[in-house]
Amino acid sequence: MTQTAAKPGPKTVIEARGITKRFQGLVSVNAVSFSIAEDEILGVIGPNGAGKTTMVNMLSGTYTPNEGEILFEGTRINEVPTFRRAHMGIARTFQVMKPFPGMTALENVTVGALFGRDGGEKSMPAARERAREWLEFTGLGHRIDNPADSLGGPDRKRLEFAKALAMGPRLLLLDEVMAGLNPVEVDEVVDLIKKMRGKGIAMLVIEHVVKAIRSLSDRVMVLHHGEKIADGDPTAVLADPRVIEAYLGKRRT
Amino acid sequence: MNRPLLIVSLLVAAGLATLPWLGSDTMIQFGINALLLATLAQSWNILGGFTGYVSFGNSVFYGLGTYGTAIAMTNYNLPFGVGLAIGAVVAMIAALLVGLPILRLRGPYFAIATLGLNGAMMAIFSNLPIAGSNIGLVLPLTRNDAMFYELALGLLVACSLTVLWISRARFGMGLIAVREDEDAAGSMGVNATRYKVAALVMASFFTAIAGGIHAYWSTFVDPASAFDSTLNVRMVISVVFGGPGTVLGPVIGSFILSTVYEVLASQISTAAALLFGVVIVLAVIFMPKGLADILRSRRNLTWRYFIRNIRENRL
Repeated sequence: MTQTAAKPGPKTVIEARGITKRFQGLVSVNAVSFSIAEDEILGVIGPNGAGKTTMVNMLSGTYTPNEGEILFEGTRINEVPTFRRAHMGIARTFQVMKPFPGMTALENVTVGALFGRDGGEKSMPAARERAREWLEFTGLGHRIDNPADSLGGPDRKRLEFAKALAMGPRLLLLDEVMAGLNPVEVDEVVDLIKKMRGKGIAMLVIEHVVKAIRSLSDRVMVLHHGEKIADGDPTAVLADPRVIEAYLGKRRT
Repeated sequence: MNRPLLIVSLLVAAGLATLPWLGSDTMIQFGINALLLATLAQSWNILGGFTGYVSFGNSVFYGLGTYGTAIAMTNYNLPFGVGLAIGAVVAMIAALLVGLPILRLRGPYFAIATLGLNGAMMAIFSNLPIAGSNIGLVLPLTRNDAMFYELALGLLVACSLTVLWISRARFGMGLIAVREDEDAAGSMGVNATRYKVAALVMASFFTAIAGGIHAYWSTFVDPASAFDSTLNVRMVISVVFGGPGTVLGPVIGSFILSTVYEVLASQISTAAALLFGVVIVLAVIFMPKGLADILRSRRNLTWRYFIRNIRENRL
């Protein structure tokens, strides 16, 4: 399993060097290193409690790693607060979705356009226009004026996605955007993510739907008990006996 | 708030401006009190309504406004306008100093932290010789209720226009995002602490000016009336009754409550406070989102609306 990041070519957007997060005695993420380049999609899989969301929280700024370094476009960002990371170009979705319930879909996405990278759009009409475009892009064009809390599960996922995209991110962290969707809806979201390729965005996609991960990812990283147990080409990683064991347990002989 | 509603509101304000020529003295005095309370409610709305942070410290800014004006006018013989400005600046500095540490606290912890401020201020001013210690200060007498009325009305209009701007601006979107979900707002790039502090400072400005006007009008300031925590409770009630985070809700809410209280007090003086309490309890049970929400959903306003509110908010 060789890393592709070493060879010259696409610019590295985010790099983690041995990041560790402990909660009192419990080690949630243990000395994990990885990097994602422009236009690259890194799929992250692992059983429940493997530390995937904790890792996203460290990248987005909710947690500070106990050890290790996070470099965003070459700058150390370990202590940079969340909102400033958003200005730098880091956007995320939440596994437990966090739409602004009292706002319409358009207003939700407008917040992303108003405050995202470089402090976002300063004028309301321009931000609203940008929000409208991303709602169209994610297939919510017909629900623009609906209150966010009236949207169903799949539409809420789209809304989360549109909010993050409206921020104009350089790095997009997608935490289980497909959980709870039916196969048709999963395919739609996969298509959306593929459409984002070629815009210079680095993407980290946490997902349990293995089929989606296989078709999306340029590389797949596997976390188990907070440790990285595999990182590389999707087909090879998903065939790795250690990965299968982590997910399904050991084959009895 | 749409354009027709804005025009109607400005026309109503213009109509109210004629009251000193038409109304009786009692009417004008009631008007001054009602307008000042509406201004206080509208200022409280800037932080409380838009970010959802319940402050019990706004009466501190009111007190600083009254004392700023009173000290400037009695001890230094400065004109009223200068006194107002001094009170406002002191209150804004206090809002900044208080806000920076405690607006990092979330939700109920913020409310608890603000609760102590009022008592602390009362204790400080009771022992300040320059503020007349616990005796208070007597301001120069000016019998010109019409002027105070117009000042109070002008302040309310200015404060409401500020809230109207907030409701349409990037700043307001940031505040509302903080109210709806502070974590999500932060991860989208909203500097929550800075936005909340800015909202508190804006609120403190209008609150202090209202305090200064009241001080000069009533010609007397003492610690108990300047730092009156029930005044802060009245601000909260008016905003919750009218509709938090709306432009007209706090104004209409406080007008209605002032009127109800005045009528109750003149009809049945002893039971007025009790009945007033009953009105508020019923309002919170049946319309927790305020009058503004009722007006907005008036098309399908049936008894179901009230039943739904009860169902949604019971434990």
